[in-house]
Amino acid sequence: MKMKLIINGKEKGLECEKVSDLLNKLRLNKDIVAVELNKSIVHRQNFDDTKLKDNDKLEIITVVGGG
Amino acid sequence: MNDGKLKIGKFEFNSRLIIGTGKYANFDIMKKAHEASGAEVVTVAIRRVNFNNKEENILEHIDKNKMTILPNTAGCYTAEEAIRTARLAKEVGLPKWVKLEVIGDQKTLMPDNEETLKAAKVLVKEGFTVLPYTNDDIVACKKFEGAGAAAVMPLGAPIGSGQGILNPNNIKIIIENAKVPIIVDAGVGTASDATIAMELGADGVLLNTGVALAKYPIRMAKAMKLAVESGRDAFLAGRIPKKLYASASSPVEGVVR
Repeated sequence: MKMKLIINGKEKGLECEKVSDLLNKLRLNKDIVAVELNKSIVHRQNFDDTKLKDNDKLEIITVVGGG
Repeated sequence: MNDGKLKIGKFEFNSRLIIGTGKYANFDIMKKAHEASGAEVVTVAIRRVNFNNKEENILEHIDKNKMTILPNTAGCYTAEEAIRTARLAKEVGLPKWVKLEVIGDQKTLMPDNEETLKAAKVLVKEGFTVLPYTNDDIVACKKFEGAGAAAVMPLGAPIGSGQGILNPNNIKIIIENAKVPIIVDAGVGTASDATIAMELGADGVLLNTGVALAKYPIRMAKAMKLAVESGRDAFLAGRIPKKLYASASSPVEGVVR
């Protein structure tokens, strides 16, 4: 079943149970991202057992060029 | 002469140049410029993943055997945002240190020292090695030192402006009174700017735009490497005092007449 997630400020309808499912669906390499779920950090080792629910707010960040 | 390493908290480096990863035309030029610079520390920024633009990640273009990655909190306008960004950077797997930057004005990118100090205190407590970016102001620098910053990074001139070291006297005063390394950050437009910072006694120089947007970034990176080394050597060598009048270098006796 699809649920509503707010990812990086944008609403997305996705079918995924856990954080790791979401990253797979978005084709993101888990080694180069960090995830906040409702403003709390989800550690990489917990991606597999952190469940998502309707209306969850996620921040998925990575490293970019900067000074 | 044996010049010690640049020590920032538990980090140690032979090179005193810290270089950015922003604004390069492409990753290939960036990588070559990094090599030419001899830098052992590169700064990066932390941003939301861009789902519309799936280009390669910058981490694939940084030689992690040679470089230590220093995340920044650029773009943050509050202590809370900066703290969040630093924590996320650690979570991506970067070393537990941060170029702490909290901006207070959009046009000048001048730092908000009050917010930066708040963030510094929290992050120091959490065990981060904190390198705050601040004004060329002795009072601000002392406050950061007191808050446990491992190094303090006063600006030479506004970020990306390339104006050089606008107030060398202020930088000198900061250096003379500091117990932690002082790294001049921002404003370095060309090699001589980096040399001036090092001649003043700075422990290092951090720059990005001066190399990334130079017409030939790889050559400028090499120039910056030599400039930092020259400035450091000149500082350690001890310059002669300035005199108003000339003093002949050749013997004044025995001139053929």
